[in-house]
Amino acid sequence: MSTLHNLSTRHPVGTIVVLVLVVGFAWLVFAPWPPGLEQAMGRKRVFLNAIFSGITLGALYFLVASGFTLVFGLMRNVNLAHGSLYLLGGYIGYGVVDATGYWLLAFPVVFVVVGALGLLLQHQVFRRMEGEELRQTLVTIGISIVLADLMLWYWGGQSYQVLSPQWLSGPITLPFVTAVRPNGQAVYLSYPLVRIAILFAAIVIGLAMWFVLNRSKLGMLIRAGVDDRDILAASGVRIQYVFLAVFAFGAGLAGIAGIIGGTFQSLSPGEDTRFLLASLVVVIVGGMGSIPGAALGALIIGLAEQIGLVYAPTYSVVFTFLIMAVVLAFRPQGLLGGRR
Amino acid sequence: MAQPRTAIVRTADRSAAERLGSVSTGNALELRGVTKLFGALAAISDVTISVRPGERRAVLGSNGAGKTTLFNCVTGDFLPTSGTIRLFGEDLTNFPAHERIRRGLRRTYQISLLFGGMTVADNVYLACLGVSRGRFSLLRPRPSDAIVARAHELIEAVHLTRARDTLVSALSYGQQRQLEIALALAGAPRFILFDEPAAGLSPTERSELVAILSGLPDHIGYIIIEHDMDVALRVAESVTMMHNGRVFKEGTPEEIENDAEVQELYLGGGHG
Amino acid sequence: MADVLPTVAPRKSLLALERIPAPVWVLGLLLLAMPAFASNFVLFQIFGWSFILGMIALSLMVLAGYGGMVSLIQMTVAALAGYVVAILGTSGVTQISLGWPWWLYIPLAILIATVFGTLVGALGVRTEGIYTIMITLAIAAAFFYFTRQNYGIFNGYTGFNNVIPPAWFGVDWRQAVPFYYMTLACAVLSYLAVMWMSRTPFGLALQGVRDNPRRMAALGFSVTAHRIVAYTFASAIAAVGGILLVWQNAQVTPGTAGIPQVIDILVIAVVGGLKRPIGPFIGALIYAILSVFASDILHAIGMSGERFKLVVGLGFLAVVGFSPDGVLGLWDKYQARREANRDPLLGGGR
Repeated sequence: MSTLHNLSTRHPVGTIVVLVLVVGFAWLVFAPWPPGLEQAMGRKRVFLNAIFSGITLGALYFLVASGFTLVFGLMRNVNLAHGSLYLLGGYIGYGVVDATGYWLLAFPVVFVVVGALGLLLQHQVFRRMEGEELRQTLVTIGISIVLADLMLWYWGGQSYQVLSPQWLSGPITLPFVTAVRPNGQAVYLSYPLVRIAILFAAIVIGLAMWFVLNRSKLGMLIRAGVDDRDILAASGVRIQYVFLAVFAFGAGLAGIAGIIGGTFQSLSPGEDTRFLLASLVVVIVGGMGSIPGAALGALIIGLAEQIGLVYAPTYSVVFTFLIMAVVLAFRPQGLLGGRR
Repeated sequence: MAQPRTAIVRTADRSAAERLGSVSTGNALELRGVTKLFGALAAISDVTISVRPGERRAVLGSNGAGKTTLFNCVTGDFLPTSGTIRLFGEDLTNFPAHERIRRGLRRTYQISLLFGGMTVADNVYLACLGVSRGRFSLLRPRPSDAIVARAHELIEAVHLTRARDTLVSALSYGQQRQLEIALALAGAPRFILFDEPAAGLSPTERSELVAILSGLPDHIGYIIIEHDMDVALRVAESVTMMHNGRVFKEGTPEEIENDAEVQELYLGGGHG
Repeated sequence: MADVLPTVAPRKSLLALERIPAPVWVLGLLLLAMPAFASNFVLFQIFGWSFILGMIALSLMVLAGYGGMVSLIQMTVAALAGYVVAILGTSGVTQISLGWPWWLYIPLAILIATVFGTLVGALGVRTEGIYTIMITLAIAAAFFYFTRQNYGIFNGYTGFNNVIPPAWFGVDWRQAVPFYYMTLACAVLSYLAVMWMSRTPFGLALQGVRDNPRRMAALGFSVTAHRIVAYTFASAIAAVGGILLVWQNAQVTPGTAGIPQVIDILVIAVVGGLKRPIGPFIGALIYAILSVFASDILHAIGMSGERFKLVVGLGFLAVVGFSPDGVLGLWDKYQARREANRDPLLGGGR
């Protein structure tokens, strides 16, 4: 809170601009649109759909990116195999759902399997390269190449879709007005339930992570380590256990994100690269080592991508890239990033 | 006794520096209210120090008094949380490090910060190159190149000529410290920060160091951080004592040596 | 820390021919005479490609080995140069290509690609080293997606075909022998340029920035400026490589600088060795040979020819695991062991 206070007192003009934007945006979302606005911007339903798609995509990006940013923040390891873990989790999740028919069962299974792989990698490989950041990154590249080919070998080149469970299918009506019928009745936005559920799950997981990081002993150790690893090592804590836990968790989370991505998008070779890149951009924008940064970055990128896709399809990539370039130019450590 | 040595600072550089120095009236280095916070920890608080051109100042204090943090703020390793830093009247508080160096500031490091994989010649050449033109030159220097010649002179002045083509990592500790000093003397220095130059030196080496420091041209002012009271009080004409990040006392070496409070805190316990 | 960094050596003689060691002469003669005993396929597809990939990987080596920055933008820079050649010159896509003369589009391609590389460098150099990989990878990806979606300038998914070298002196430079010599000349020139650069004041300063940026700043060097200029120098080399690449393939598509290709350049540079400029060419040769013969090798051990990437990945892991300095590292260790085995009393070379 004091940061906000500091920010607002130091940049009064900026704060006013942001407030105006926020209020304006809130009005766009909640109020029925007058006809002139609809003509200019298309139907409100399309706009709301884009916003919600952006938010839910952002939720997915958040799940993938938070593991990535924790691993880098704490262990200074740029894990370029993170996308492969995502895809692997998705494929395994598909297998579980295909075999048993229980969507929820995929989650613990994938978390354990991919998390175990992460544990193995950290223990057997990265631990031996302590301090050699570049070498670790190169190893992750090698691992991603190998994993990608192995997955291609086993699951082939086609697209897989994880079927969402019955109880999550179908639309849900949300209290957002898309239009007003001639008889005065409001039309409300109807949106796929599964995506709302995913958004809800991401928020819950995000809050849980925040809770662990800020209220538990393990979290305190992690935060201390992100700030200054040498101090953590010197404090006598068995730092390797912390590393193992964080890497395994990050991997497991990426795997779970794979199930989710496989449910409301699809799985195929190339998705690993796509989500690795999304993680990179989210973390560059939001700030390394920061979970709130990952959330903010994911939200921004998700919205940018979806809004761009709807309103300027040829240039949505440019849009995302522009955001990243602007952040790099003016605040290289990321919006909520700590050190330089 | 040491032989008369080649001028450490060349006449041409000296007059250039003197001309620059004489234009500005007032202090060579002026810190006002400089504070540096690391999180909640105040490494230095509200430090105000003024050093006149050509003045030789010693900054003393126990470990953790904030001396090296002070240096880091002055050289621009990090920006102070608050306060201003002026060099020859120019406000450098927000300048990047290399800009400060190009205005005549130099520094040596407590733990030698040298290029271990390069030869002595290359190290000194880099120091001379850093404050001249041609830093981006893609032309190999001619045999008569001024910078190369200057580098050789400097190496000779600190008695490292025989080690000129040796890798720095193969030098003895004392030689490395000599090299540190040589780097600080490259170009036309106007103000130098010496961070514990005597650390780890033998008595002979320490005398040589004192000779070098005392022999510097009059227009070059410096601040020396030292634990070795002997060296510090011999080469300094004024002393600033720091304690817990604040300036605790200032005065001449004699005054400080005889001050009761200082004796109680520092001198009583012997040399650091 | 294996290598002695080269001293800024005052120029003695222009070429110093007498100081070139014998093995280099042999290699030089071998390369010049290669067309006499190698097939067209080997000349074009293995050597030509090695020289090109080597140049692009050399560009990476300059930044990583001399500058301490691992950048993944080099292949993108190369592809951009190729695109500019296709767009400003002639290609099969007549509605976009402008048909300008070669003496306009070649310098422009190099210029535009170099400026692009410099801008990327400017964005990436102000953060910690390990970020550079991430940032350059993200920008490379953005370029890939953009060229794939943009049809007005880059012709989207299809890209440009029929992009061939101009017929200088009436020669078809895409024929095996002329192409071989052309790429050989470019590779040698870029190699020499890098060797030269490393012994200039700029090169020495760059290596200083790599080793101890804090000290360099305290000596008066602008660390950021040096790093950015390094990107400019490296990008120029990659740009030339990119032009040769588009001529070799006679086409340029988004896939030319797709993420796998971008990463392959890193693999090549690391496998060859990042410490000296010959490393990238060694890595490129290994890669080219593997690419061509991979399916045969795989069949020989009973696997499907498609598992090329798996071989590359495992090989790369092996190199990073056991000899992080690549082939050059292995060579250096071998040399060191030979030196150690020599009688110390008889002295050795330097």
